[in-house]
Amino acid sequence: MDALTASLRIAASGLGAQSERLRVVSENLANAQSTGNFPGADPYRRKTVTFVSELDRISGGSLVDVSAIDRDPSAFRLEFEPGNIAADENGYVKLPNVNVLIEMADMTEANRSYEANLQVIRQARDLISMTIDLMRTS
Amino acid sequence: MEPVNLFDLAMRQSQWLAVRQTAIAGNVANVNTPGYLARDVEPFEKVLDRTGTVPGSTQPGHMGFGATEASFRTQAQEYNGAILPSKNTVVIENELMKAGEVRRAFEMNTAIVRAFHGMLLSVSKG
Repeated sequence: MDALTASLRIAASGLGAQSERLRVVSENLANAQSTGNFPGADPYRRKTVTFVSELDRISGGSLVDVSAIDRDPSAFRLEFEPGNIAADENGYVKLPNVNVLIEMADMTEANRSYEANLQVIRQARDLISMTIDLMRTS
Repeated sequence: MEPVNLFDLAMRQSQWLAVRQTAIAGNVANVNTPGYLARDVEPFEKVLDRTGTVPGSTQPGHMGFGATEASFRTQAQEYNGAILPSKNTVVIENELMKAGEVRRAFEMNTAIVRAFHGMLLSVSKG
């Protein structure tokens, strides 16, 4: 595989990884208020995504892949709300450990990285077409 | 036959630029990977200075970078900026700057090849 096609492939793996990350962020945001459905139940636990770099045997470049989607082990928020179905005997409800601000920052970063990968794809395509243009008789 | 072996030189430079583009693509794709060190290809002057002691691939399992026969070495770049907790050394601005350089050089390269090709054509057409 020639180097320019390889860079298209690598950038595409970057796009895939970042969109996976965006999916996890949207899951977290959608479930930012999801409590349990019986007294004292654990609510939704925030998910985190980790990337890993792997050598691609075909193109010789370093692709990126999602290595794991883990659960964030940090503590849940507690709120006093005795009327809730998930409230324990003291009237406290466990709310998900999702911080909307952090998720927003994560989303913006994923967006930026996605744009950078798109830019690489655009450029690799331009370089290929410049080379092909050499064969055109002007 | 080759006039000042220009076409050979231009071909090697465009190969080198393509490998550099691959290195940039790898860096940009791994911009959020923990522990990833930014890579770059060796400078083109060094490639020119090296006289033909490139280890050839004798088996299909041998790897060259970007699977091109002209093996340009890529290595992790020196980094003396702030170390992030994730130990990632990719600076996205640097990568985009390098991408701009590659683009400029590639445009120049193809323009030169086209100009010389036109000259050769005008000679052969008479």
